[in-house]
Amino acid sequence: MTKLNLAPFVLGAALLSAAVLGVQSAQAHHAFAAEFDAKSPVLLRGKVNKVEWINPHAWVHLMAAGPDGQVREWMVEGGTPNTLLRSGIDRNTLKPGTEIIVRGYQSKDKACAPVCKANGRDVAFPDGRKVFMGSSGTGAPKDGADPNDK
Amino acid sequence: MIRQFLVWLQDQLGKGAGDTAQSWSQDLLGSLNFWGLIEGTHLLSLMLFAGTILFVDLRLLGFTLQRTPVSVVSRRILPLTLAGFGLMVVTGLALFYAKPLFYYHNIWFRAKLLFLVLALINIVIFHLRAHRNQDAWDKMPRPPTATRVLAALSLLSWLLVITMGRFMAYSWFDCGKPIPHWVNVVQECQASEHGAVDAADIAAIGGKAP
Repeated sequence: MTKLNLAPFVLGAALLSAAVLGVQSAQAHHAFAAEFDAKSPVLLRGKVNKVEWINPHAWVHLMAAGPDGQVREWMVEGGTPNTLLRSGIDRNTLKPGTEIIVRGYQSKDKACAPVCKANGRDVAFPDGRKVFMGSSGTGAPKDGADPNDK
Repeated sequence: MIRQFLVWLQDQLGKGAGDTAQSWSQDLLGSLNFWGLIEGTHLLSLMLFAGTILFVDLRLLGFTLQRTPVSVVSRRILPLTLAGFGLMVVTGLALFYAKPLFYYHNIWFRAKLLFLVLALINIVIFHLRAHRNQDAWDKMPRPPTATRVLAALSLLSWLLVITMGRFMAYSWFDCGKPIPHWVNVVQECQASEHGAVDAADIAAIGGKAP
């Protein structure tokens, strides 16, 4: 007489689905789509206020005009300090006062409180040099511009 | 009180002289490799910890390893669980040290600590209640209901600890953003350096911050 015990199978199925969900969200520190709007690309031109060289994401602060034309403070998310260093951005190239042009995507909430937020795609310097500032594979729209994006 | 200590921990401890001097906490947060190593270790030891406690709890529930006495399962597996937990605590404290004020005002972190305390209380209850007469049910394929309930609570509280920890990576409810009033209260945003902004107030003035 064997009684089929379904409990392990139910639990197994629950764990498996949790694992699948976990893998999907673990592709990045956090999913791009959870916080940023791929349909809201922004082009920000302005002088660097300050840069927070912190993990897991560095933040570049600059005063720039947003999509509505109003000049506000923006904070733009980049990769880790390590990622930025390897793509050629460090404390010396991104000093306060440096004029930059950042391409990125605005956060889903567009309240701009306390400051406007965006995910940074790439940053262009006055000398024309252009470097990627996001870590690859964050879920940002692939436009073919990033050679590391597959 | 706690907040003042954390401000000192984050901004003052280990700070040298000079305009660009950083505290140890800030050095750790800005480090090129160390922070990532700690975070990676924290997540990898989670697998060791949660993966092994899963087996112990499933045995106590009577779902797996039914022919193996509970004492044998515990003796073989719990040392691994403890090792994983030790690594998690050490790396977790280091991650907290890198950003103490952020976590202090973070609703996910507060919920995580709450469930962590519940999980630890559950362990104490297990030792006071179920563990005392373990000889009586050690070899049972399906331990008594009281034991099974404690095992289920253990599983549930650890899953919640992990889930809350996962959500700490998201900034939906950061202080200073327009968030529901009760979240501002739970996170004590008013006392934070970003202040408290109620979503209802922002909506009332047309959706844009002044």
